[in-house]
Parts: sequence; structure tokens; C-alpha cells
Amino acid sequence: MQLQSKIYEADSVSAVQELYHFNGWTDGLPIVPPTEDAVRACLDWVMMPPDQLIGIEPVRGLAVTAEKLAINAVMAGCLPMHFPVVVTAWTAMMQEPFLMHGATASTGGCAVLVVLNGPIRQEIGASGTFNALGNSDRATAAIGRAIRLCLINLMDVRPGVIDRSTLGHPGKFSYCLAEDEEDSSWKSLSEQRGIERAASAVTVMAAGAPRQIMNEWTTRPEEILETFAAEMRANLRHYSIHPGNYAIVIPKQLREHLQAAQWSKSDIAEFIHQRARIHRREWADVGKGAVVRDRGDSVYPAMESPDQLLVIAAGGPAGGFGAVIPPWLGNKSHAVTVPIGACIDCEPAKK
Amino acid sequence: MTFRVLDPTAGEPPATGQRAPRLDTLKGKTVGFISNGKEGTKGFFGHLEKMLREEYGVAKVVSRTKSNYSAPADAHIVAEIRQWDAVVSGIGD
Repeated sequence: MQLQSKIYEADSVSAVQELYHFNGWTDGLPIVPPTEDAVRACLDWVMMPPDQLIGIEPVRGLAVTAEKLAINAVMAGCLPMHFPVVVTAWTAMMQEPFLMHGATASTGGCAVLVVLNGPIRQEIGASGTFNALGNSDRATAAIGRAIRLCLINLMDVRPGVIDRSTLGHPGKFSYCLAEDEEDSSWKSLSEQRGIERAASAVTVMAAGAPRQIMNEWTTRPEEILETFAAEMRANLRHYSIHPGNYAIVIPKQLREHLQAAQWSKSDIAEFIHQRARIHRREWADVGKGAVVRDRGDSVYPAMESPDQLLVIAAGGPAGGFGAVIPPWLGNKSHAVTVPIGACIDCEPAKK
Repeated sequence: MTFRVLDPTAGEPPATGQRAPRLDTLKGKTVGFISNGKEGTKGFFGHLEKMLREEYGVAKVVSRTKSNYSAPADAHIVAEIRQWDAVVSGIGD
């Protein structure tokens, strides 16, 4: 089947760059020229025709096809083997609970955090260790960037157009990490969220920037987790009081203390749920007394329930650090997890 | 060397409806307000209601607030629109 996209001709690599920058089709960085061969290689990898409908954005009714995702993935630097992750992330983002339009248009300025689980991490070289939230590896860097380029070009999520972010954050260039499943005795994030461990899966979350914590002066789980909870309380005080999906990233040094004490991810979530909450009157301490009103004694937890906490094992082997990743704005958007390549309406294999 | 490269955009978006006919006058009309509920909407809509009533002779103002300020208006609010002559949809940022 023919590709449907309009073709442009450019005389050089730099002419390609200028064409794409001039038209507002980039994130400001150079792109890989999306040639027909490169785009077809992505489509072949996922065995999809160009016009395969990946989904329709629920608010504005915009259709997203495999061809358009592939063009943007190539531009971001994706290899064909990265493309299944991009397709699955977009499948997840277009589910209603994610509220993609609101999350990507909001002045709040969140980014789409993409978390990878399962065998595909190792197939594509996605690393969940050193610099996990930064430029850890080619796969997560390019996949995260592809998510943003697709938003820019398929949904008009350009600064000042649909994207009305006041500040945004650096994760809007790329915000993808893989869980370090090999060096953890915990259930993986996707397993915790109901996906078979043997399956690869993608979780998307409308997320603020990571807030780094440090506590290397204890081995007690309660003390380690109190530091994470305190950072979440700070977010409730300084940013938003609304409960929703928070993610915490626990690198190996702190993870080993928790695992040695036999704390599971569920135990962690239960503890954090009890500790990460504030009284509304605390807003008066941080200059927001005007909205305390007569509800100062009301208690506001960071999550409505423990299962709203996404606990992710990732990070380099040394350092008593961790990260809290807050939601865009409470429950307005929900994290969504989708298995890669699992087709619920495919025909059974022919014998 | 010539590069043949592809358009990454979605192309023309689907039609999103037509503008409603303009009113000849606001006098005696019913105007609905759909607020996103943010703090800044209160002063704005309060002042707008005063203007519409006092300067333009609007008969009735109906105020509704979305349950989620980041999502489209709730279905029951959209259903109510047909009973109004005009709508002002406002955000509080």
C-alpha cells in the first residue's frame, strides 16, 4: 500500500533541517530525514499498513494512523525496533482516562512519562540503571522524543497553539525510562498493574518534572519512605492538593534496604498512602492562605488509594537518591498501561 | 543528493461545526455562561453578567460550571445550551 503523506524534496541534509524547522515540525533539535524507506521499515516491523488506525483522539476527534506515527518516530531517531513502543504508548494516550487533550494543552505544563516493562527493554537496549531519568540510552531517548514530535505534528501541540504551558519542563523533549527488572525482586510496574510478567508493556502518565530526594543515612524502610512522602507533601503544599497518580523511582541503593526488609511494592504504597497527606491549613504556611477558607482541618492525601502510586525500580547502583514524579493535576488524568502487541480481536493462528 | 521526505503532520483537521447565526440584539435574551471553574472566572463572569443585564438588556443569565476544567463541558450542560440564545465559554487563566 502506498504511503499517503505529501512528499517534499530537499537538496541536502541541512535543507531538510530548514524545511522542517521552518514549518514548525520539530522540537527545536535536528531531525532524522523521514524518507519513505525509513518509514516503511518502521511499519514493516509492526506489520501494519500505513493507514492502520491507531486511534482517534477523543476530544477533538483527530485520527492517528501508523504512517504518521512512523514518520515522527523516524524524525525522533527511532529505529524500527523502537516503533512498537511508540505505537503502544499512543494507544494508551488516546484512552479516555488519560485525557490527552487536557494534559497536553494545559497551562500546567506536564509531559508524558513513558515507562517500559518486559522483554522489549532488553531487545531494544533500554537501560533502567545509570542516569535512568536522563539520557540513559538511545532507545528511551528516541522513544520519548517521538511521543513529543507526534503530539506537535499530529495534535498541533505546539507552544502557544494547543500547548498553553506556562513553563513546561525538560521532560517535554523526552521522558521515557525502563524499569530495572533484572536487579529487583519486586513485581514490575506493569505486573503490579495487571499485565502478565512475560508480556512487554508501556505505561503512560501525565507527569510533572521529577523531584529528587536523598536519604543515605538510614537502612530502615520507614525512614527511607518518609523522605519520599515528605517530598509528596511538599508537592501537595506547593503545587496541587488534588490526589492522583504519583510515581516514585527507587534506585538500587535504597531499593536494597527495602527488599532486605521484605517490603513489597504494595507495602511501600500502603505506607506512602498513610504518610503523604496534608491538612488544608498548611496552605497558609506557603502563601496560599486565601484558599484555605473554612476547610483548614480537612485532610488531603496524595493518592485516593495506594494503587494510585506507581513504584518504579530504576537508577544507577550507587547513591541514596530517589525521585518523586507528581501528576499533572490530580485525577484529571489517569496513568494507563497497555501491553505491547497483544491483540484482543486478532484471528486465531491458522493451523 | 536529493532527499525525498514526508510530511509529518496530520493534514486538514475534520470540520468542527459552523458558527451559530449572530443575534440582532441581546435585549430580552437568555445568555448562558459555561465556566471552567477556575478562580479567575468569578470576577470575569460577575462583571460580564452586570454588563449584559445593565448595558445590553439581557433578560436572563444562566451560569454553569464544568466538573473538570481541563475536559469538555459535561453532557448535561451541552444539552442545556439549546435553551439559551447565546453562550459565553470562559476560562480563568
